[in-house]
Amino acid sequence: MPILDRPLIVISTLVYFLACAALGVWALRRTRTARDFWIARQELGVVVTGLATMAAAFSGFVFLGGPGLTYRIGLSSLFINLSIGFTPALLGWALAKRLRLLAEAREVYTIPDAVLARYDSRAASGAAAVAILVGTIGYLGAQLLAMGTLLEAVLGFRESLGAWGMPAAVGIGLAVLLFYAVAGGMVAGIYTDVFQGALMVLAAVAVFWYAMDAGGGFENVTRGIAGSERFGRQFLEPLGDTPALTAMGFFFVFGIGVLGQPHMLHKFYMIKDPRRLKWLPLVLGSSQALCLLIWLGIGLAVPALVAQGRMAPLERPDDAAPAFLLGFAPEWLAGLAVAGILSAIMSTADSFMTLGASCLVRDLPKALGRPIRDEVRWGRIATVVVTLAAAGLALVYGDLIALLGTFAFGTFGAALAPALAVGLNWKRVTAAAATASIVTGTVVNLALEFLARQAFFPGLPKPPLPPGALPTAVSLAASFVVLLAVTAWTGKREPALPEDIVAVMEA
Amino acid sequence: MAHRAAIVLLALAALAAVAAFCFGSPLGPWLAAFAGATFPVALIALGAKRLGRIGWPLGLVWLLLAGGLFAILALPEGGPDIGGLPLATALMLFVLVPVPLLLLGFLYAATFERELREEDLERIRKLRGEV
Repeated sequence: MPILDRPLIVISTLVYFLACAALGVWALRRTRTARDFWIARQELGVVVTGLATMAAAFSGFVFLGGPGLTYRIGLSSLFINLSIGFTPALLGWALAKRLRLLAEAREVYTIPDAVLARYDSRAASGAAAVAILVGTIGYLGAQLLAMGTLLEAVLGFRESLGAWGMPAAVGIGLAVLLFYAVAGGMVAGIYTDVFQGALMVLAAVAVFWYAMDAGGGFENVTRGIAGSERFGRQFLEPLGDTPALTAMGFFFVFGIGVLGQPHMLHKFYMIKDPRRLKWLPLVLGSSQALCLLIWLGIGLAVPALVAQGRMAPLERPDDAAPAFLLGFAPEWLAGLAVAGILSAIMSTADSFMTLGASCLVRDLPKALGRPIRDEVRWGRIATVVVTLAAAGLALVYGDLIALLGTFAFGTFGAALAPALAVGLNWKRVTAAAATASIVTGTVVNLALEFLARQAFFPGLPKPPLPPGALPTAVSLAASFVVLLAVTAWTGKREPALPEDIVAVMEA
Repeated sequence: MAHRAAIVLLALAALAAVAAFCFGSPLGPWLAAFAGATFPVALIALGAKRLGRIGWPLGLVWLLLAGGLFAILALPEGGPDIGGLPLATALMLFVLVPVPLLLLGFLYAATFERELREEDLERIRKLRGEV
């Protein structure tokens, strides 16, 4: 798409970048202590926390990958999102209150901090930090690649710069991201997340409304798809061509794995007063539900337009969102949607930049018994190092990083969900059980996912799983079983916990 | 007691998930549906300070999730059409997402003051620095 053909899209991108940079400048003056840098001064309200959590959770996949996946496999893709009906309340009951109270009792800024406080085990917190760092490189690298691909197309770099188009596009996005994340730490991260989250909701609702309108209304869209030879009614069925075990695996992994997502859980520390958590599930859930309208809207409109003969069949399903926005949406809406997609990508990326930095500067040194003093200065340096490392790896080993990114959600879930969600609510869970569960979740997930998806080493076998079983579902289930089994084995009696931890767990 | 029941449910759900996803069996999807519905309810019950008023609504949510997932598995080709969508798809979009979202969201807000009382907060704040 040449730059001059779509001035409104380019202008909206530049205005969006300027707004993010301005927030970085504003945040710079408010970032002095480690508490400012890692947990945004702990002064947020519930709407800010809810929107920031949603923005961090929903990456570019919701806006680009989701509609593409729907074009490919039909409405069975919705099993990925089906769990948002209960996940906000599950987060509230199982974790939000406990994590926020831990931050009230102790200097807890990160997820490995919480693990260390609960289990008093450097092995458990170190294992959690390693799992987060591995997932961060994958998640962050994948977001940077997605950002580069989008900017390369929007700014017309592919045509004008050829092979240098992608590095140049990644470089521009990185400059903005690094500017606000390094300068303003989590203060900048949170307020850009709020701005980005609001843009995401606005863009998703506007695109859904326009997509349904373009297809002639919801019923016309679905009837058109059902009546077409290419898609047929099967497209609209909940299972369609997807194996039932895969669909249930999506529901399980995304419904329970959410309890181990550090970029979401980290936000709970930042709310000013624990009593403000009262409305968090409704704020988080409603913003997530509104955002997912873009998945459903474009996911249904594109096949309907193809079925009506108004759009050529897509060669690559992932082109569904760009093809609709550039071919059918008015320019103002395409501009808003591009800003929304960039928001989704960058809000997730900035969360991981801070998380990766905190692993290097805070969590791993503490696990090794050598805490670092000037965390803000080293945190800023580590943010640059983690981001450049992820960008460099993504540009050089794009396929490998994209692969890591696709299963980072599962790695976090399998590694952290049992130790946090069960361990913070059941005193009998021991440090040995938590460590075993974290290590099992990390290792089993990385091994199974890598074996299932890799094409680098043709001689390696595929994992011995039943047809349709998701490797992440196996590792998540295994991690829970290990936690419960080792607790039963080692935790015959309740371990003696410090009084403040008992108070947090009994509150 | 409620805690113990939640742990038992959690263990059952974890074993069902392992059985579903690790061993190829025709029952696999049904076990996975059971695990998918039971895990969140067991974890909410474990996280809640006391079940009391949330016991019945939680049971209802379990029935809704398990019933919905079983219906999706049981209905051939998603069942008859309703408003342009197969019944099972309509169930996903218009029941399984919005109903638990609103029910659990308002339930959480309604019981929050009982879950986090002033004296609990004061106890934690008092202990800060002492331990």
